[in-house]
Amino acid sequence: MNLHIMNGAIIRANIIWANIIVSIKSFYREKTVVFFRLAFPVILILVFGTIFMERDNEIFELSIQDLNRTPSSEKLVEAIRLSKRFKMTPVPPAADAKQYAKANKRNLIVIIPKDFEMSLMQKMGSNDFDTAVSLTQLYDPGSFGVTTKIGVLDMVLAGINQEMSGKPPLIVPEPVSVLKKKYRFIEFFVPGVIAMAVMTASLFGAVNVNAELLQKGVIRKLCTTPITRMDWILSNVFYQFILAVLSTAVMLLVSYIVFNVNLEINAWLVVFVALDVFSFVGLGMILTRVAKEAESASAAADALMFPMMFLSGTFFPVEMMPEFLQKFARVLPLYYVNEGLRAAMVAADHMAALKCALFIGAFAAVVFVLGTMITTLGGETA
Amino acid sequence: MTLNSEYAIEVHNLTKRYKGLSAVDNISFTVKRGEVFALLGPNGAGKTTTVEIIDTIRKPTSGKVTLLGMDVTRKKYNIIPRIGVLPQGFSSFDRITVKETLQYYSRLFCCRKTDIDGLIAIVNLKDKVKVQYKNLSGGLKQRLGIAVALVNDPEIVFLDEPTTGLDPRARRAVWDVLLGLKKKGKTLFLTTHYMEEAELLADTVAIVKRGKITAMGSPGELIESNADYLVVMLKSVDENVFDMVRKMGFAPVYDSHGDIRVRLDRTDDVRRLLNAIEAGGASFTGLDVRKPNLEEVFLKLTDETLVEGSAGIKEAQ
Ligand SMILES: Nc1ncnc2c1ncn2[C@@H]1O[C@H](COP(=O)(O)OP(=O)(O)OP(=O)(O)O)[C@@H](O)[C@H]1O
Ligand SMILES: [Mg+2]
Repeated sequence: MNLHIMNGAIIRANIIWANIIVSIKSFYREKTVVFFRLAFPVILILVFGTIFMERDNEIFELSIQDLNRTPSSEKLVEAIRLSKRFKMTPVPPAADAKQYAKANKRNLIVIIPKDFEMSLMQKMGSNDFDTAVSLTQLYDPGSFGVTTKIGVLDMVLAGINQEMSGKPPLIVPEPVSVLKKKYRFIEFFVPGVIAMAVMTASLFGAVNVNAELLQKGVIRKLCTTPITRMDWILSNVFYQFILAVLSTAVMLLVSYIVFNVNLEINAWLVVFVALDVFSFVGLGMILTRVAKEAESASAAADALMFPMMFLSGTFFPVEMMPEFLQKFARVLPLYYVNEGLRAAMVAADHMAALKCALFIGAFAAVVFVLGTMITTLGGETA
Repeated sequence: MTLNSEYAIEVHNLTKRYKGLSAVDNISFTVKRGEVFALLGPNGAGKTTTVEIIDTIRKPTSGKVTLLGMDVTRKKYNIIPRIGVLPQGFSSFDRITVKETLQYYSRLFCCRKTDIDGLIAIVNLKDKVKVQYKNLSGGLKQRLGIAVALVNDPEIVFLDEPTTGLDPRARRAVWDVLLGLKKKGKTLFLTTHYMEEAELLADTVAIVKRGKITAMGSPGELIESNADYLVVMLKSVDENVFDMVRKMGFAPVYDSHGDIRVRLDRTDDVRRLLNAIEAGGASFTGLDVRKPNLEEVFLKLTDETLVEGSAGIKEAQ
């Protein structure tokens, strides 16, 4: 009896292996497919990573027009420079600041007034706390990001003020992150791209390959061989899993080399990639079966994929969305892959990862069973 | 269990319905081991539906089909290792080479020692082993399909239109392969539109029309029992002849050479026809009176008249 079962398992493994070999050969002989499959997620990471790396520790451009030109004003300029948040460009004192801003596309010019040193002296001498020395900030309110810049400048000036007044600050903020360590946007983003890339490839891989084979009648031929539905779905899953592992490795490698990301690589990564593949290959099989025609199957796959891509927290945290969309996100299977991968890779929070794994695991199981039940290897296409 | 079944295939009252259409309508027949059986019929007759039920691809609506003593609907996975199938319009993985394709299908049947090089030799694809499927010509694809159907050294081989779409030389090459299998004692079940193919290969021919078998027997028997009429061929440059013949109540057709062909049920009619043409002052340059050939018997059995498609027109389609 045991021998019988083992024999059966060997036969199944043999069949699945044969399918995987054929799939992989077909894959790597189609060079453009290989390129897009591996390069697309990497391009996403490079593009978004570059955009947001600047955000994380951005150095702002700051134009300063010093109309005072005294040791005091020079000291102020030097103090701002020392904050290391700005790349400073001097504006010639003779220039009209407004026109200069327009002509040179500057969204913020700080103007040190003519009487800067004098009023500073006056103020220090009189110990008058009600009046302050003013600094003109000429800014373009329509410009993207200028508010952040002003905010940073205010912060820097506050520091300078405080130092000049010689008094210790009353309140010192001490940020404590909810995560064990601080993370950058790219570290939030990479797990999201992994989850999404694996989803898209699995879903479309399953839909496209199966619809084509069905249409060409290859499936009808397979139906006259010992291969079973279960073998066929498992072959699809394993094949997509191999590609997913490969593509994930490439994504991580690029992220490490280019952005020096700080992400945990642990067994959860494998678990979530596997569950991601299982879920969406299964879904793809179901779509192929239900839609019957290749075009409608990929249209249906599109319809499922897009909301998932944008609403399940791939590109930005779900918490940024309105309440009802957040609720909606929680029914999307990809949400749990995203959350789970981030819990595992960013926060190293194993309990949270386990919780997500259970959700997506349950989904994968349902889809897989359903897929096995309704997939036909028969010629009974009607 | 299988030893006592003298028949390779037993079909009993088989019916397959598609939304009110009976694609296969209550047919019965048997095929002996080692026999070559051909289903012959026009497009849409129900050939593919019939084979695909027998070779386990589709499920019957009613009736019983037994292969090697086993019920096809209940013993699919016991039957499959013992049969080989070339489905209509065989197709395979585009990027996989001839040899790899054979290795793949052989693996699916597991643990069998398939003589892949031997198979390649049988279908004469030796110099194409490294060519990917999508780069093969139609005839070569079909030959690969036949080789694939043989990877498990099956006892029964099903071939659904093995030569449709092939040029005469490629068709002959396929016939040679099939004759070789026949010599080896394999049971062959094939479908075809071509009477000459059935005549050359088959021990038994069943002619199907609209889901029913209208005649069955060896090619010789079929002609014997259905050639109860004469075919008159008239070579003529005179266009009036065609009209004259028609006005006499016969159904003349032009064949592919532009000759007039008429089916006559009685010997007397020949004389009547010739007299009428002579009386009408028309002339003809050639005359041939003969028994119908297999093609014409087939057409008679499937269409009842020669009107819709003479052999020539059918070839051209
Ligand atoms: N899956 C299906 N759904 C609905 N009707 C079908 C289906 N398969 C076949 N039919 C119908 O059953 C009839 C028989 O079709 P079948 O394919 O068996 O004919 P065939 O003899 O093989 O024809 P051909 O020579 O063109 O291959 C046709 O009228 C066809 O339209
Ligand atoms: Mg057919």
